[in-house]
Amino acid sequence: MAVLQRIGILAHNTLRAAARQRLFHLIILLAFALVLGARWFREFNFGAPELKFLADCGLGAMGFFGAALAITATGQLFFHELETRTAQTILAKPVRRSEFILGKLLGVGGLLLGFCVALALLLIAVLWSRESELMQQLPEAFENGRQVNYAGVLLAGALQWLKLIVLASLTLLVASFAQSQLFSVLAGFAILAIGHLQHLAHDAYRRSASAAVRLLGGAVVSAFPRFDIFGVADGLDAGLPAGSDIARVVAYGLGYAGIACALAIFSFGRREI
Amino acid sequence: MVIAIGLVMGLAGFALDGVGEPVGAAIRRREPELRLEPAMNTGPGILLALLGGFRGPVADALWLRLYSSWERQDIAGTRALVRLVTSVDPRPAYFWINGARMLAYDVAAWRMAGGSASLREDARRQIRHEQAGEALAYLDAARPIHDDSAAVWMERANIALNQLRDFEAAAHHYRRAWEAPGGPYHAARLHARALRLAGRPREALAWLVQLHPGLPCDDDAAAAAAVLDRIRELESELGVPAAEAYRPQEQ
Amino acid sequence: MALNPSARAPDRCAVEMRGIVKDFFVGLRGSRVRALDHLDLRVAAGQIFGLLGPNGSGKSTAIRVLLGLIQPTRGEARLFGLPGTDIHARRAVGYLPESPRFHEYLSGRELVRFHGRLCGLQRASLHARVEAVLAWVGLGEAADRRVEAYSRGMLQRLGLAQALVHDPMLLVLDEPTAGVDPAGAADMMALIRRLKAEGRTILLTSHLLGQVEEICDRVGILDRGRLLLEGSLQELVGDADHRWLNLGSLSAVELDELHSWLVARGHPAATLSAGPARLDRIYLNRVAGNPP
Repeated sequence: MAVLQRIGILAHNTLRAAARQRLFHLIILLAFALVLGARWFREFNFGAPELKFLADCGLGAMGFFGAALAITATGQLFFHELETRTAQTILAKPVRRSEFILGKLLGVGGLLLGFCVALALLLIAVLWSRESELMQQLPEAFENGRQVNYAGVLLAGALQWLKLIVLASLTLLVASFAQSQLFSVLAGFAILAIGHLQHLAHDAYRRSASAAVRLLGGAVVSAFPRFDIFGVADGLDAGLPAGSDIARVVAYGLGYAGIACALAIFSFGRREI
Repeated sequence: MVIAIGLVMGLAGFALDGVGEPVGAAIRRREPELRLEPAMNTGPGILLALLGGFRGPVADALWLRLYSSWERQDIAGTRALVRLVTSVDPRPAYFWINGARMLAYDVAAWRMAGGSASLREDARRQIRHEQAGEALAYLDAARPIHDDSAAVWMERANIALNQLRDFEAAAHHYRRAWEAPGGPYHAARLHARALRLAGRPREALAWLVQLHPGLPCDDDAAAAAAVLDRIRELESELGVPAAEAYRPQEQ
Repeated sequence: MALNPSARAPDRCAVEMRGIVKDFFVGLRGSRVRALDHLDLRVAAGQIFGLLGPNGSGKSTAIRVLLGLIQPTRGEARLFGLPGTDIHARRAVGYLPESPRFHEYLSGRELVRFHGRLCGLQRASLHARVEAVLAWVGLGEAADRRVEAYSRGMLQRLGLAQALVHDPMLLVLDEPTAGVDPAGAADMMALIRRLKAEGRTILLTSHLLGQVEEICDRVGILDRGRLLLEGSLQELVGDADHRWLNLGSLSAVELDELHSWLVARGHPAATLSAGPARLDRIYLNRVAGNPP
């Protein structure tokens, strides 16, 4: 109980520190501006497919700015405490290093949750408003009712959040042994790019005739998560994915985040503060 | 220690791969592979965005650029961007359909307007054929993903009918559109019309006769009464004896 | 006001460091730098122990090893018999780092409250305890101000407040007056004297010998990671029965007469020039004589 309490206190403090960072305000504002701005791009688009454009913009903003937030927030909040030696003061208290790491991760997770929920709700409001207008203007295109699957938008937002948690965990893992914030942040963005190309690498090593290449390639490739599967609910018109698929994505995300977090605890436990 | 961490991540990820792979495979079946080659020449921003996993928004942004080229009646730009958009994100049928329309109708019109004022009809027909061929070839590239899209088959049929006057091909495409999931009723009626235009009224009649009993009376889109009128027209045209005429079932 | 008279520690060893070696590896080639070289140190409960040494002598490293913030290459560090890495051991310790910086977006009260909650203080007692320590360090009126607006001296006092909030038996103060103006340093020393009066165990590092001499029961001199000397002030500085004469008011002629008088009675000629073996002299002699 005391352990959970301490983790909660550290998470709350991390969230509070994040809420005061101007860079994070800027990232969040840009994401909101993009979603709202997309609403005024409609003159360039045509009819009902405009809703797809709005949803793409919203989920794209959530993915892009969310990734920037996950990486920079994790790197900055972690290294700020080390550089200002507030970590020394905290860790000289009856606080385990694992609690410190979990507190940081949960704090960043809370920040990302707030970001994703707010952006998903804004996106739903924008889509709903525009769809209502289009239903008036183009009734024949909406003869079967609303086209946007709003539950799907929420689910896509939830899976984006899980992806961002995985990204934050991996950035935290790098930060746990890295000597500079810059390195951690650059590594975070590299992991993001690799994660989005993972499916290509999977296909490449799976096609190899050599068992050794398949095994080695598999181990190397698997060191990075594949982010494509977190977009399983992104298609606006594809309907909700199967429950088993969602469960797999959640298990996959939590598994990666858990392993990265456990390794970050292991690595940070050996770090000289 | 970094090597040890990498090794553990690799092993653990290897185990987790079994959890994620079925979802990845399902996505691959639903979505085509990302092709980076066409984006190589469009600047580092687009390439980086694609690497970052922002395929949909990149395609949307390119579509806006395409729209700008279309407004300027820029033939080369429109042609290039139509292909680029769908190579970046071939998932939305909307891109294919509207891209094909631009190639088949708009580019053809711009080419004719750009030529000599006294362009002969055979030259005009030649341009229409070339553009229709380009649009149909473009739509053929959509088949791996949109083979069961009624809207794409409808577009193919419309181009064959309106630009090529190829009634046989149009009849085939309308039928595919009707048979696709969610195929519209008018695709079935247009199939019959194309057969008639192709000089196959008996087959058109047979098609409508087998179609009519399945049409719901309470759905305006099904237009059961209009189909019955077409049947009567065809029976009259073909001189079908009254005894052999189609008798709709009482509903 | 006594912060907590019950904090008087039982008669046992508060700090015990045995054979501590700490090597750092620096540069691309990983050259070894030995920060602590077989350090043995004991601080009994209730004592004020001053760890002296020049900059880079290993004082802060020794404290970080003691608190489990870094792992020793060899040796063992214990707090009240438990390893410093054990969180139960750290429950009994309050730590003020050198030139502390805290979460600047918090007020002084919020910061002390945050540290109190981390130490497991329950809501019922937290408020009273936070107010008590803030008042004790003299920050009662500034408690609602953001930490970013605090002066250097206020930050030191705030650091002391967070170190005391959970009523620890041992206080570890790393250069508690470093970077503070003379008035702030005097305030800090006054607070440490009050803690001494309460009977708390204190381990402090400093390079200001006058301060250490003023408040410490025992002193250790550290240089290049080696403990050169360790003992009570009495052992190091001299016998308490010695009497000291202040000759500052004598003129040169009077000093010559005094010198002649001493020589005439068989005292060595150097008696007047040698002076007492004060801590700064011992310190300088030992550090200068410590081979690299």
